[in-house]
Amino acid sequence: MFDRLEKVLMPTADKLGKNKTLVAIRDGFLISTPLIIVGSLFLLIANFPIPGWSEFWARFFGEGWESYLSNVARATFDVISLLTVIGVGYSYAREIEADKIQGAIVAIVSFIILMPTSITYEGAGGIESLTAINFSFIGTNGIFLAMVVSILSVSIFSWAYKKGWTIKMPKGVPPAVADSFAALIPSAMVMFVFFLLRIVFELTPYESAHNFIYTVLQAPLMGAGNSLGAQIIYVVSSSVFWFFGINGPAVTNTVFSPIFRTLSIENLQAFEAGSPLPHIYTGQFVDLFQTFGGGGSTLSLVIIMMLFCKSKRITQLGKLSIVPGIFGINEPIIFGLPIVLNPIMIIPFIGVPFMNTVLSAIAFETGFLPYTNGVALPWTTPLGFSGYLSTGSLKASLVQVVLVILGCIVYYPFIKMLDKTYLKDEQYQSEEDELEDISFDNLSMKDL
Amino acid sequence: MKVLMIFDQIQAGMGGKEKADIPLGGKKGEIGSVPMIKPHLNDVDGKIIACLYCGDEYFEKNQDEVSKKMVSMVKKLNPDVVICGPAYNYKGYAHMSAHLGKELSEKTDIPVIAAMSKENKDIISKYKNSVNIVKMPRKGGIGLNKSLKNICVLAQKMVNGEDIKELKKDICY
Repeated sequence: MFDRLEKVLMPTADKLGKNKTLVAIRDGFLISTPLIIVGSLFLLIANFPIPGWSEFWARFFGEGWESYLSNVARATFDVISLLTVIGVGYSYAREIEADKIQGAIVAIVSFIILMPTSITYEGAGGIESLTAINFSFIGTNGIFLAMVVSILSVSIFSWAYKKGWTIKMPKGVPPAVADSFAALIPSAMVMFVFFLLRIVFELTPYESAHNFIYTVLQAPLMGAGNSLGAQIIYVVSSSVFWFFGINGPAVTNTVFSPIFRTLSIENLQAFEAGSPLPHIYTGQFVDLFQTFGGGGSTLSLVIIMMLFCKSKRITQLGKLSIVPGIFGINEPIIFGLPIVLNPIMIIPFIGVPFMNTVLSAIAFETGFLPYTNGVALPWTTPLGFSGYLSTGSLKASLVQVVLVILGCIVYYPFIKMLDKTYLKDEQYQSEEDELEDISFDNLSMKDL
Repeated sequence: MKVLMIFDQIQAGMGGKEKADIPLGGKKGEIGSVPMIKPHLNDVDGKIIACLYCGDEYFEKNQDEVSKKMVSMVKKLNPDVVICGPAYNYKGYAHMSAHLGKELSEKTDIPVIAAMSKENKDIISKYKNSVNIVKMPRKGGIGLNKSLKNICVLAQKMVNGEDIKELKKDICY
């Protein structure tokens, strides 16, 4: 069965992993991740989930102290589309071996060409308009357009560049100058294409590219992604890939991360605005409720290994892995136990995250837990604390702890099976040969 | 076919990167990541008699000492074949595998195989003429199972003294 599964999964992983567009989108998001985390922390301080928090600090800093913090937050996730367009443009240029920084700026220019730049309002003398960029075009609503524009603009740029349609400078001209002239014609072509595109979109009922992509691409994808079904596909396939030694999330994130991230940031914006949080299945749902201690939710496994196993081989690895596990690192387990290519351990390795996903979904769907606020916490934020900070409810911490305990129960019979085998090996070996450990101290000098 | 594995701390199940300084040690029998390669070893009638390990940082700092000790321990245990790896794209482990592979090839008659991913290109180009280095994916990459199988098939052929020229073209660097 595993052979057959491998035959199906390998080509899929291979295609996704080598698809330059998907890889560029995934990596492009990574560029803005640290900024989103820092921006989120500012927002979290402004809206810390303790009653009386705002009033308390207002006594020292005056009313409205939060707005200083919100400004920083706004500079990150309220302009997420700009960050995305730069990030994806840059990484796509890297993937197709074009000039990276030129790719990034050509992408952002194209994005702005498509953007409506006038805002109408009711002035004293009737309807007036003002030249400005509406934040709604550069926030989450523009994310998918940002991705499309980056890929398209960098493709055109690189295509023209590689055709050799460039202005060549004589030798001796400094490289910076030569590069900038070389980029002139390709840039012009990109800008011309987007100039035409803008006109075309204005003629359609959608009126703008933003509106078009949002309606035909973003809204349907987000609707599909914001579901328990999508989460289950994501979490199960991430684990299954690991069995074959393939870094599961690295593959699945190429498809899912743009969707989960957009959902998170929409919650974050609602949180900032103080309006009801719209989505359950956000990136935070994935990060903070699906797995604990890394892929496969191995924190539960490590606890069992440490506390309830008897063979030296397993207890020792458990002890060594607990501290990294608390911070979400499980490499020692994945390769050292191992999980990879281990048909026994893969069952709970898939089962526990699946269980966590379903139970958390129930906790959110039934209203037992308040929705996540989208605050991007550093992934090392310890369990319990992260649940509280992301929902403002201690019940979320409780759910996290309960899930880890349930995970222990699921892992228990499987790791015990392995434990028994190893224990038998160890006993057998110690009867057969007193020195199971090989000591290098006993080598005599003449051996060397 | 008696097989001896040489691991770093991660593959030995002795911890993660933070344990890179563990000195060399070993066990008679199977440890750590052995279950991954074991089914393929069974296919070629291979049995692991011992696993030796060393933290990759410890090796880097004490190359001469580790090399000498590993060589003499391998001589003492006298396996039919030594497998240094799989080292994935772990740079320290790949260096250790290749270096020990070379030392063992030069100082013993026991066949040696190393395995690492193409990311270690400097190490590969430096050592590939001294030791057979089997191609494998990086950590989390595609094709692990296949490469483990290749290691075992090559091991068997080397032990039996068969001609490995064609096979090497296919599966080694």
